[in-house]
Amino acid sequence: MTIIIRIRRKFSSFLSRLFKKKKELKIGIYGPVNSGKTTLANRICLDWIGEELGKVSVIPHETREIQMKENVTIDKDGKSLTFNLVDTPGIATKVDFEDFVKAGLKKTTAKERAKEATKGIIEAIKWLDNMDMVLVVLDSTQDPLNQVNVTILGNLDARGIPVMIVSNKVDLKNSNTATVREIFPKYNTIGISAKNGDNMNDFYDMMLHNIG
Amino acid sequence: MLNIKIKLVPYETLKEDKFVNILKKIQEDTILLIDAKLSADEELHLIKDTMQSVNERFSGIELGSLELVSEKNGNLTKVRNAIIEKIMGKKRGLTIVGPASIIQKIKKNPRELMLYI
Repeated sequence: MTIIIRIRRKFSSFLSRLFKKKKELKIGIYGPVNSGKTTLANRICLDWIGEELGKVSVIPHETREIQMKENVTIDKDGKSLTFNLVDTPGIATKVDFEDFVKAGLKKTTAKERAKEATKGIIEAIKWLDNMDMVLVVLDSTQDPLNQVNVTILGNLDARGIPVMIVSNKVDLKNSNTATVREIFPKYNTIGISAKNGDNMNDFYDMMLHNIG
Repeated sequence: MLNIKIKLVPYETLKEDKFVNILKKIQEDTILLIDAKLSADEELHLIKDTMQSVNERFSGIELGSLELVSEKNGNLTKVRNAIIEKIMGKKRGLTIVGPASIIQKIKKNPRELMLYI
């Protein structure tokens, strides 16, 4: 099945090049909940178009809908890359409204948020097939070998979608990008702090190198 | 006394309405041990169906899977394993899936899964 999908993608890419069809490139930001996906999306948007994409929060599932910023252009050292940046809700295997109550929300708001969060996860999964490249954002202070990360990466592999792992939150004391690299050796991995902007130059270089 | 139901499920028995069957058993507060690794696509499908089932009484699942990886990592071994899996109709390994209300977390390393209840 995987081989068929890969062949189909390669053939489609070949045809597009053959007819010089200008296709809009979609780069998705995926990852578990609270790994810093929207913070990264905001950082990229601020750096290259001067405005943010979405709201960030310490309460889980702040992003509950797909958010897209069109025509983001990274222009660096003579290389340029234009794409639509797609920020997705964090993927999880459980959503408990009680967690939102514990985070300080009222019960009715918490239930509504939980409902929206489950819909957001389903949307994120549905959008996976639309992506041309995916930035998988992991919280480098957490165990990288959790099932959600493995499932996301496995699905991207099966679909033949290029992946870059972004090991986020390197500004925090217990951050460990080396472990992320060790657990997922076959992927290009870069350690950054999307919040502080640490190592973003190398991040953009890696993006340009991978698909520019 | 802790009363936990753990059910060993042959992968083959899940073939029809696989995800409906898994979720039905989980919602009966049962932890399932499946004698195969679900494919990445199946895992994602299960997460999607789980999200459609989440409500005030059911908050979701904990999922962990382990692929049986051969010590030998040559191309011949990979081809042989792929053929075996094709014949068996399942990926060699193990999947644990259960209600998030019972399983606190499943910790994974490349060779084992640890279940915290």
